[in-house]
Amino acid sequence: MIDVKNLSKSFGDHLVLDNISEHISPGEKVVVIGPSGSGKSTFLRCLNLLETPTKGTITFEGTVITDPKVKIDKIRQQMGMVFQHFNLFPNMTIRKNITLAPVRTGLMKQEEADKAASQLLQRVDLADKADAYPNQLSGGQKQRIAIVRALAMKPKVMLFDEPTSALDPEMVGEVLDVMKELARDGMTMVVVTHEMGFAREVGSRVLFMDGGHILEQNAPKEFFDHPQNPRTQLFLSKVL
Amino acid sequence: MLQWFYRTLDRFHTAFLEADRWKLYLQGLGVTLEMTVIALILGTCLGLVIAVVRTAHDQQRPGRRNFLLGIANVFCNIYTTVIRGTPMMVQLLIWSFVIFSTSRNKVMVGFIGLGINSGAYVAEIIRGGLMSVDIGQSEAGRSLGLNYFDTMRFIVIPQAFKNILPSLGNEFITLFKDTSLVSAIGAAELTYHASRIGGRTFDYMPPLIGIAVMYLAIVIVFTWAQGRLERRLRESDRR
Repeated sequence: MIDVKNLSKSFGDHLVLDNISEHISPGEKVVVIGPSGSGKSTFLRCLNLLETPTKGTITFEGTVITDPKVKIDKIRQQMGMVFQHFNLFPNMTIRKNITLAPVRTGLMKQEEADKAASQLLQRVDLADKADAYPNQLSGGQKQRIAIVRALAMKPKVMLFDEPTSALDPEMVGEVLDVMKELARDGMTMVVVTHEMGFAREVGSRVLFMDGGHILEQNAPKEFFDHPQNPRTQLFLSKVL
Repeated sequence: MLQWFYRTLDRFHTAFLEADRWKLYLQGLGVTLEMTVIALILGTCLGLVIAVVRTAHDQQRPGRRNFLLGIANVFCNIYTTVIRGTPMMVQLLIWSFVIFSTSRNKVMVGFIGLGINSGAYVAEIIRGGLMSVDIGQSEAGRSLGLNYFDTMRFIVIPQAFKNILPSLGNEFITLFKDTSLVSAIGAAELTYHASRIGGRTFDYMPPLIGIAVMYLAIVIVFTWAQGRLERRLRESDRR
């Protein structure tokens, strides 16, 4: 589904991703963990070209999306993204937040989109918030809205960039529950997170990144029970 | 003391009421306001276009630089540099005596000069406003597959508007006061009439003090209205 080859990214002199190759298959739930500054967020943001790679290619469903001629908007319509700071649009109601992209990109008519929005909101127990504005919601509610806003585009893959890091601890659960449900429904997911419990429970594969490299990857059980790389062992001993 | 008071009153009487001179002030004030509004509209349109060109140019993806946008950006840069780097008065004189030296419609020359001057400042105000919107907002828009212009139109510009409004109000006030410079090229606005009347009555104090009060009154009213509008917008933040 997503094929990354020899991906490098540097900001000025600072090399953030160093020659990464990775493949993500349909239905996989790939969890990326690692210390801050390891390049995991940059890696995720390269996947939908919010960051432009310095070197290397990314292929999505057979299209080389790093090619400058590719219509990136069309590709992004198939890749949902959820941000650490939610990034809901404060100047619109929740309903408008969800329906703006499907309507403007021609995916749905306004009525269809409104109906879809109601269903999505019901799914995350926020049907009564359709006419509220983002400022009136708690962090956990905002993030659940951000997830369904991305889902409204019917994406083939969902990218999560530390979706629970900006939340109060008591709100982390409600967001993870939505993500777990999404995983059960078979969505392909790439999740950058510090939630080890989520990685163990939901992930089909865990990647450990540090210094711009993927140092180790494995199925969650193996990964957490028998880490091989000394850097991984050190990291896990600190966070678990 | 009382004598001085009557004398002053008499001077003001000569400057404002004799020979229906107050009509000239009103006419002048009308021209001043007309010039301010047209110049403001011209300046805002120009400023918006320049701000969008410059922001769009700066936000292009590396490797996908648009050649035309590059050229447009160079022109915009030259324009803002020249306009902001030369005195308003010199610009007006050039418009009037060099570029439109044959035109007798000095009011038109006046608002063209003012509008083009103001456009350079408004462009910077709008550009600042666009950049003040959190980058995450446009990232969220783009990540949903919206194109650059939809993201600007529905997400960034509406949020930038609130940040732009106070500075735009100040620009309006500056522009309003700068219309007095246009009297130097002979457009019959408020200051022009005042100095003409001063010349004819051999008494400059009453007409000049008079128009200073008029300018001040209008600026005060406008500042008050601007404050109210901003409070309204801020309240809608706390919905």
